[in-house]
Amino acid sequence: MNFLISTQRNLLFIFLLVFTFIFLAADQLSAIPAFARKYNTSCSTCHYAYPKLNAFGKAFKNNGYRYPAGQDAEMTKEEPVSLGSEGYKKVWPDAIWPSDIPGTVPVSMHAIGRVFAAGGFDDPTTTATEEDKIVSFEIPHELELLFGGTIGENLSFFGELEWEHIEEFAYEFALQYDFSPGFHLKLGSVGPQATPEHHKLTAEHYNVVDLKTQSGKFRLRNGAGGGIEFWGAGNGIGGSGGFTYAIGIGNGQNDADNFDINKEKDIFGRVTYKFGGLGEIGGTEGQTNNTSAFYEDNSFRIGGFFQKGTALATNLNDEFSVFGGDIDIWYNRLNVVALVMNMSSDYKGYDRKSLAYFVEANYVLYPWVIALARYEFTDIDTDIANPTVSSLIPGVVFMVRANVKASLEFKIPLDDASKNANKEKITLQFNFSI
Amino acid sequence: MKSLFLIFLMCVFVLSEISIAGDIKGKVKAKGVKNAANAVIYIAKIKGKTFTAPKEAELMDQKNMSFVPHVLPVLAGTRVNFLNADDVLHNVFSPDDCVDKFNLGSWPKGQEKSYVFKNPCEVTLLCNVHPEMSAYVLVLETPYFAVTDKEGNYSIKNVPPGKYTLKIWHEKLKGKEVSVTVPEKGEVTENFEIKR
Repeated sequence: MNFLISTQRNLLFIFLLVFTFIFLAADQLSAIPAFARKYNTSCSTCHYAYPKLNAFGKAFKNNGYRYPAGQDAEMTKEEPVSLGSEGYKKVWPDAIWPSDIPGTVPVSMHAIGRVFAAGGFDDPTTTATEEDKIVSFEIPHELELLFGGTIGENLSFFGELEWEHIEEFAYEFALQYDFSPGFHLKLGSVGPQATPEHHKLTAEHYNVVDLKTQSGKFRLRNGAGGGIEFWGAGNGIGGSGGFTYAIGIGNGQNDADNFDINKEKDIFGRVTYKFGGLGEIGGTEGQTNNTSAFYEDNSFRIGGFFQKGTALATNLNDEFSVFGGDIDIWYNRLNVVALVMNMSSDYKGYDRKSLAYFVEANYVLYPWVIALARYEFTDIDTDIANPTVSSLIPGVVFMVRANVKASLEFKIPLDDASKNANKEKITLQFNFSI
Repeated sequence: MKSLFLIFLMCVFVLSEISIAGDIKGKVKAKGVKNAANAVIYIAKIKGKTFTAPKEAELMDQKNMSFVPHVLPVLAGTRVNFLNADDVLHNVFSPDDCVDKFNLGSWPKGQEKSYVFKNPCEVTLLCNVHPEMSAYVLVLETPYFAVTDKEGNYSIKNVPPGKYTLKIWHEKLKGKEVSVTVPEKGEVTENFEIKR
């Protein structure tokens, strides 16, 4: 009997683990050490400071995780394993179309640890509710197994398994058919990537991707769940800059078995245009510079995105939509990113409108030291005179090695409510990836 | 008749130059590296003798994310052209003072930029877009040098007879210099051992 109860508890625990994952989608990643091994190249070939991509990293991704201009085979230093010789293309459909797989297992590991000093600590040894500052070693914070690569000339894949704390497990992957850099068909974990390739360098999430709908069942960093996406990119006039687009449909919120939790689908789209700098799909045409660096790409990029869907909570639909725009400016060692987003959440008969935006500046002091500052503003309900939330987040990132990072940031609340609630937070985060 | 005599004299001079020269050859044993390639064996500065740099430029390629060759010995004053053979932006710069820490920037596929290496020194070349890429230009004071193959073999041809100091350079390993006497004809063998 005890055994049965124990088994039921375990099953319930597993169910909760998986269910938790549904609502805690992982951050999107774009490149991993498996690629460094494949091409025998440094992380900084693709990363400004990982996980944030530089211009070449975006071009690599836009080519379906391949080197631009059809050079992938000659740039690959790790010999792939053939799954059929080239001649079998002539035999098809009387044979399986030939392909290849990476020569070594394309898996990488990413570990994150944190030390922070923050408020909101309720001392469990006392009965009184206290919210004091505490210094805590949150190590480990997270462990990820990342995988990515190509399968032959037209297929590519990317995914991750993520363990965060004891109760959070998440996994996602996508397989895509790369017709050309201008047209990819992705099947798997999809979403609009509202902060395109600008993954946060420090611990604090961007406010726009963390803003929840009224039910709490959707936020932008969840993406659109499992689905299908058409996307592509192309260079602009003269080989520099260019466009990207993405349009897709997904389950949105899933249940524990990865089935759609309601009959409605999420739809999303994104479009950007970049002026100047490296072409969105790479190449060297017109790219003469007197100086150069992996973290520089003098350019201006503007983009827009939307997602519309339905979340479900306590048998009630939460009809939501988000739309917004962003700019991404690179000038020598300075990079400025700004994003503004409107969110509508219609739940329990009330249609809430929210506004959130941030502006972030990053400056490369040395190729291994980046100073940054971010201002965030969130108005959770623009129709009522409620207090807004705003904060300033200065920080500094140290690339101890190309694959080892440390960051220190200070979240300074600017609104009275957050100040009174003791919401300031200092976080030291370190990551390494192999 | 006068011009025929001149041609005769030139032929005698050229033949004598060819015949009165020996070769230095040998093998380098390298400890602590995968193979013995890319060691440079060279004759050190010869007192009272200077050499004019060749008019033709040497070529350093950037191909498949590597500098090719990895090690390039040149006579001081030689121009080296840097070609980008990849459809990926590369860069060429040096952190060394002896070449004023030059930075050539980046340029499209198929194009070249050049630099004249005036001062004798060891020059490290790097690409600030791809940190794993590196090469060395060894700027020397004599034109008598050779680079080893993977087996460590080298051969310096047409060295005028005489006594010289023969040195070896490797990016990671060190070896002892030796004194060598080059015969008027034939060859002399000098083997090296290099280690950390």
